[in-house]
This record gives sequence, C-alpha cells and structure tokens, in this order.
Amino acid sequence: MANDDDYVLLESNDGFKFVVSRKVACGSGMLKSMLDDEAAFSESRSKVCHLDYRGIILLKVIEYLSYKVQYADFNSEDIIEDFADRIDPYIALELLTAADFLDT
Amino acid sequence: MSMNLGAAKRGKPKIRPPKKPDPQTSIKETWIKLANAIREIQNHNASKLSFEEHYRYAYNMVLFKNGDQLYAGVKGLISEHLEKLAEEKIVPTFPRSSGTSGTGKRRSGAEAVESAMEGDRFLKAVKTVWEDHTGSMRKLKDVLKYMDKVYTPAAGVPQIYDVGLTLFLQHIVRSSRHSIHTHLIATLLSQIQLERDGEIITRSTVRDCIDILLRLTLSEREGGKSVYSTDFEPEFLRNSADYYRAEALEIIERGDASRYLQNVERRLSEETDRTAHYLSSLTHSQLHSLLVEHLLTPHLSTILSMPGSGLVSMIEHDRVSDLRRLYTLFLHVPKDAGRIALRLALRADAEDRGRTINENSALSESGSAGPAEEQTMDVDPDDVKGKGKAKSQVVSGGNALLAALKWVQDSVDLKDRFDRLLDEAFGGDKSLQMSINEAFQSFINANPRSPEYLSLYIDEHLKKGTKTKSEDEIEAALDKTTTLFRFLQDKDKFERYYKIHLARRLLYGRSVSDDAEKGMVAKLKVEMGFQFTQKLEGMFTDMRLSTDSAHLFQQFTQRHQIPFSLSVNVLTASYWPPTIVSASTCTFGPLLSSGQDTFEKYYAGRHSGRRLVWQGGLGTADVRVRFKARSHDLNVSTQALVVLLLFENVPTDESLAYTEIQSSTNLPDADLRRTLQSLACGKFRVLTKTPKGREVDSTDVFSFNEGFTSNLARIKIMQVANKVESNKEREETQEQVAEERKHQIEACIVRIMKNRKIMSHNDLVSEVAHQLSSRFNPPLNLVKKRIEGLIDREYLERTGDMATYKYLA
Repeated sequence: MANDDDYVLLESNDGFKFVVSRKVACGSGMLKSMLDDEAAFSESRSKVCHLDYRGIILLKVIEYLSYKVQYADFNSEDIIEDFADRIDPYIALELLTAADFLDT
Repeated sequence: MSMNLGAAKRGKPKIRPPKKPDPQTSIKETWIKLANAIREIQNHNASKLSFEEHYRYAYNMVLFKNGDQLYAGVKGLISEHLEKLAEEKIVPTFPRSSGTSGTGKRRSGAEAVESAMEGDRFLKAVKTVWEDHTGSMRKLKDVLKYMDKVYTPAAGVPQIYDVGLTLFLQHIVRSSRHSIHTHLIATLLSQIQLERDGEIITRSTVRDCIDILLRLTLSEREGGKSVYSTDFEPEFLRNSADYYRAEALEIIERGDASRYLQNVERRLSEETDRTAHYLSSLTHSQLHSLLVEHLLTPHLSTILSMPGSGLVSMIEHDRVSDLRRLYTLFLHVPKDAGRIALRLALRADAEDRGRTINENSALSESGSAGPAEEQTMDVDPDDVKGKGKAKSQVVSGGNALLAALKWVQDSVDLKDRFDRLLDEAFGGDKSLQMSINEAFQSFINANPRSPEYLSLYIDEHLKKGTKTKSEDEIEAALDKTTTLFRFLQDKDKFERYYKIHLARRLLYGRSVSDDAEKGMVAKLKVEMGFQFTQKLEGMFTDMRLSTDSAHLFQQFTQRHQIPFSLSVNVLTASYWPPTIVSASTCTFGPLLSSGQDTFEKYYAGRHSGRRLVWQGGLGTADVRVRFKARSHDLNVSTQALVVLLLFENVPTDESLAYTEIQSSTNLPDADLRRTLQSLACGKFRVLTKTPKGREVDSTDVFSFNEGFTSNLARIKIMQVANKVESNKEREETQEQVAEERKHQIEACIVRIMKNRKIMSHNDLVSEVAHQLSSRFNPPLNLVKKRIEGLIDREYLERTGDMATYKYLA
C-alpha cells in the first residue's frame, strides 16, 4: 500500500527518469491525484508517470518539491534560503507553466 | 520584465517559450477523448486510463478558453449517467408498501418483517448509487482539477464535485421522472415506524440514506439548507407527532399512570438514541419537544389524577421511583407547566391528607365530647366522611387526648412522608417544597385546635411516666413538632396552651427532665425570638428560686414549729398563665392555715411589699390515712387534702352533703366537683358517694369509706384528668386570646406610630399585620377597631384627609 517511504518514477519527455519518494512527489497536487490509490488510475498501479516536460525542468520541479518537504515544518521567517535564487532565468517561463500544470 | 528582455538581447541562450499545443484543431478531438474517459471512469474502469493524459486534456481545454464547453459537457455526462443509474438500480427496488405508509396501523409480524426488508433493499440501492456516484465524482474532480482551479472561479460556477451533488439531487433524490423522492421519504419513515413498533431494521442503511440527505444542500437561492431539513425533517416530525399523539391516547386509555410514564421515559430515550444513531443531532431538540408536547403536555392533569395509579396512589404506596420518574419527566414540559401542575396536585394531595387527619381527629373528638349521645354501631369506622359520633367503641375520658396526640402524630408522619418523597423523588425541589408547606399550613390552620394539640403533644413527650422514651426519641419528636409549629399562624394561642401545660408539668413535678424542657424552650426561642419565651423562662426561674428558698424555709421551720412539712413554690403572677394562677383560692382548714401563716411570716421577712395568694389547686400533699384494714399513704392534690381534712372530725357513719363541703371549703364549683370525683368515683374510692354514679351532683352526699382496701401502701390519687379543654373552657380561652390580641394590636399600633408620627391608614394596617404575623394574623376589622379605640383615647388623631393618622405624644 501507499506510504511515504514508497518511491515513484517520473519520466520526462526527453527520456530522463527520476526516482522520487512518494512524499516528495505528492507535493504536487496533480501528482498526488494521479498517484491516489483510491481513484486507481493506471499511474497509481504502475507508479510510473510520464510528464510532457524536459528533464531539466522536471529536475528543477523535483528540487523544488524536495525543498518544500525539507522546510515543511518551518515557520516562513526561519527560512533563510530563497528558492528563487536557484532558478535559472532561462528556464523560468517553462518552469512556470510546469508548475501551473502540476499544481505545485 | 525589462531585465528579461535585456538578457535576451545580450544574446545569451534564448529563453524557450512554453510550447503551444496545436489548439483549435484538437479541441473537439480532445473533448471526445475526455468524454470517453469520463464514461470509463463512471463504469469503474479508471485503472485503464492514464491520469496524466486526461488531466492534460482538461488542462488544455481550459487553457485555450474552452472551459465552458468542458464544464457543460461534464455536467451532461454526469446527468446522463445518473439517469441511467436511477433507471437500472433504484426503480426496480421500489418497495410495494411505501408511499402509503405514514401513520398507518401497526402491521402484523410477517408483513412487518417483509416491509422492513423491502425498505431496506430500496434504501440499500439508493445508497449504492450514491456511493457509486460520489466515487466517480471524486475521480472526476481529480482529473478536472485544473478546471476547478482556473475556470470555475472565473466563471462563477460551483466546483465540479458540488455540481455532482446538485445533479444527484436533481436526478435521483428529486427526480422528475421517477417517484424516488416519495419512495425515499416514505420508506425512511416507515423504517423508523417499524422500529418504533418493535421490529428490527438495519439501522446502518437508514443512517447512510439520512447522511445522503444531510450532504445534499439546496443552492443559496433555495435557502441553502440541507435536503434533510427541508424534505425529510418536517415529514418526520409530522409523522412522529401523529404517531405519539395516537399512542398517548391509547396508553392513557389503559389508566395506569405509572406504566404510562415508564412508556414515556422509554420513548424519550429511544428517540434520543435514534437521533444519535441514524438521524441528525439537529433534530434531537425538536423531536424531544415534540414528544413532550404530545406525550406529556396535554395529559399532565390526567396523569396526575389517574385513579388508582396517579399521584395520590403513588404517594399512598410510597412509589418513590414512579414519583421520581414523574418529576423528571414533568420537568421537560415547557414553560414549567409540568412543575406547576405537579405543585398544584401535590398541594391538593397534601391538603387532602391533612383534611382527612383533621376529620379523623374531629371525629374521635366529637365521640368524646358527647358521651351521652347514643352510640351508633352501624357506621363503618373506616368511613372517615361519616357524620360525627361515628366511632362505635366506648368513649373513654382520655379519648380527646388521644385524638389530639393522634392528630399531631399523623401530621408529623405526613410531614415525614412528604419530606422523604421530596428528598428522594423530587430532588429537594424548592418550589415543590413550598407547595407542600403551603398545604400543611392550610390544613394545620384549618383545624382550630391545632395550637392546643401541638402543645399537648409536646406535653405528652416531656411528661414523666407515660412511656419510657429515650432522649433521642424525645428530641426527634420535639424537632418534628417544631416544624409543624412553623406552619401555625395562631402562635399566640399556642403560647397560651404551652404555658398552661408547662405550668402543670412544673408544678406537679412531672417534667421528664429539665434539659428537655429547656431544649424545647430554646427551640421556640430560635423560632419566635426572645419575647416569645421570656415568660416561659420566667417560669423556670420561679421554680428554681422556690427550690433554693425551700432549704432556707426548712431552717426557718425548725424555729417556728408547724405540724407538717411544707414546701412552697412562689410564682410570679405575670409569668404564669392566668388560668392557673387566677384559680380562686379556698378556705384551708385550721391545720393548714398554721403552715400558711408561718410561710407568710418567713416570706415577709425576706421580701417586703409582696402579696402572696395561695393557690390550692396546684399543689400536692402526702397524707397518711387510717382505714379499717390498714393505713395508706395517699398522695392527693392540695384541694383534695382540704376536702379530706373535713372528714377527719366526722364520725364514720355520718356524711357530709355537697353543699356543706362547698360552704366550708369555698372551692369553686368545677374544682370541687373534680376533686370529689377523684376521691369518690376514681380508681381508689376513699370517699363513698350516695347515690352512686360517675358524675358528681350538687345533691350528692359523701362519707368516709373506712372499708377501703388496697394492696399498695402508697396510693396516688390523680385529679381527674382534664387535659383537653372542654368546649366551655375553649370559649374562655378564645376570649382571653382575643383580649390579649387586642392589647397586642394596640401596642403594636402605638409602637409604629410613635416611630413614624404620621402614617396612612393602609400603610399602618399592613405594617401592623407584618409585625404581628409571627404571632398571629390580625383580622383587618380588628385592627380598624383598635385604631378607632386609640383615637377615642387620644393616642392618635385623624389628619385632614381622613386617610392618615397622626401620633399624639
């Protein structure tokens, strides 16, 4: 059954595969719904998600999701590190649409 | 923005624009694919579908401004699916019996079971469809999440999941094509009714269907309430009302209040249970008040007055648990009506019982008051309502006393009983206690002789020799009497009687103990204050001083020889009841007079300016009398001694006539008769009366009974008891009390006026009534008369407007 120690596979459209803990993946509302055991779509069975984004974008998305998990229990004022510093402006726009799609 | 542009111009790697899927061409296709997917989801085939793919479809549709098409399309698909479900799953399970149920009669066993099962099947079908629907709606919600996030808020339409609920309401619960609504409500009601009738139903199914109704809410426009509260609850309440109204009438018909209340209690807890288990807790208070309204409110007095099982019989048989139930249930009745009804009924019952006590007492009394009347044997002695003289047993002299004691005992018992019930069944409810007290006050004061009776009862307990009682018993009895005393209005009458009885106890040395006496006085002091007991305490003081001075007098008599030993109680006239101290004196024989003189000499030597009046009727004397057989020590009253001494010098064969005795003793008629009666007609007949008979007549002749014999060396000849007042005496007492009241009212008026100087009539009267209420309730006209009396004597004067008075110093 699903628990946070599970891992899922995220695939980019250019063939990168990322093994991500379910906990991190579920930071995205869209991925969470997709992996929902009760709704039982095909992805929740296979635990493989094909996403129509480049690997570099997906990597940044996963990085952000991990960042979110890492600071989940912090007060906002205690977080010194700003994720915006880590974003390369060249992928910003693409990353933005991905974020919108993935509901992160 | 300018930063970005700048960066791009500097020729750095170019920012890739987000790729644009080919829009217009694919929209139609996209929707067809998505619609298919939705149908698959509704048919539980979600696992074949890629979430990502369809999420993207919906995403794209919304992104390219086709949200409205998507939204409407999805709605259409849901409606379609729901219609299909209704058709296939629900309609075939319509129960035959529902739709006609409602308040119908109780269905017999097999039919009821069948109907329960049918209903259950139907409800299960509804529930299955609901679960099916909500399941697919949840998935749709996930897939269409982007639409909910972006399109619906912008378009101002409800989220898709809520649309699903609304559609369920439209197509299933309130379906216009199938009569699901009627069936659903009717079946729910019939299931509940079956359970009320004692059948077993599947509560969980009902619970689930109710939950559906609770989840479904009407749009804001239609009031925004849940379907449960608009469609189901009113029906349910109406149905329950009908059911319980009928049940109340049916059970009340059976005429058993206790059973009825048990049923009500059961129903209340059942319905509470029901609302907790499978109805909404919102309904609870309404249902509860509905039950109370139909089961209790209209039947309060019927229940209370139910013959053979109502309040009267519950109290009669001490059915504490029934009474407790009655009380707790009645408290539920709104506006305190239950408590008020109970109060009235309790009061009526207590008064009734009190009246019975009064009647019983009047009955046994009237028996003793008219011993000459012919006794009728044919009246049932249990029939308390029989006319006077119903008692068929021979009436003895102590009967009136017994009646008095019985009256008090009965009242005390009754009080105990109500106190216990109040405590055990009514939770010490203050207002009920007040009603009970009112009832006691009313019946105790309804008996004109209650002050006398109360005092007699205390007398009986404080007197030596009747029965041996422990101190605790006496204490308890006195405490209870004190509680009755509180109810008494004519406390001044009680005071009068108490003084007389106390005087007798003190003078005849009959008090069981000084402590008990003082205890009682202390109790009265607590109740009535210092003034009330001042004179009583004076009596104790007199007795103590007399005892102290007796010793001194003994020394005095060693010098001044008198032929007998003498001990004298000196009483302060104002402390002692006038009936006792004003008993007129008599001519003591020469022998006794010598003692008298000696004491007077002694007393005058110690106190100057005091006048002594000798009271022959109060003392006792020990005298040794020689009869033919042997000598006996007689203990007689002083008056009897005076009479006996007359016979000392009369030869045995001669006799004295009544008139002769009277003239040589100067005893008042009544006293003389009583004395002679005790000597000649009592148990020990030291005198012989001719003609014989129980009553003493003024023509009778008496002689010394020399042949008197007895086994006892020491004989106590009691004055013929005269404890309970005769009617004549009572009249006298009444007069005296009335006289005394006059003075008290006047004193009170003067006290008030001295303080206020000017006062209106009404204020004055009410103030007087208030100040005197602790002793008695002064009648208005008496107060008026006293005011007039005072005006005549120029203590007061009327001011100009006639309605106010002025105090003249």
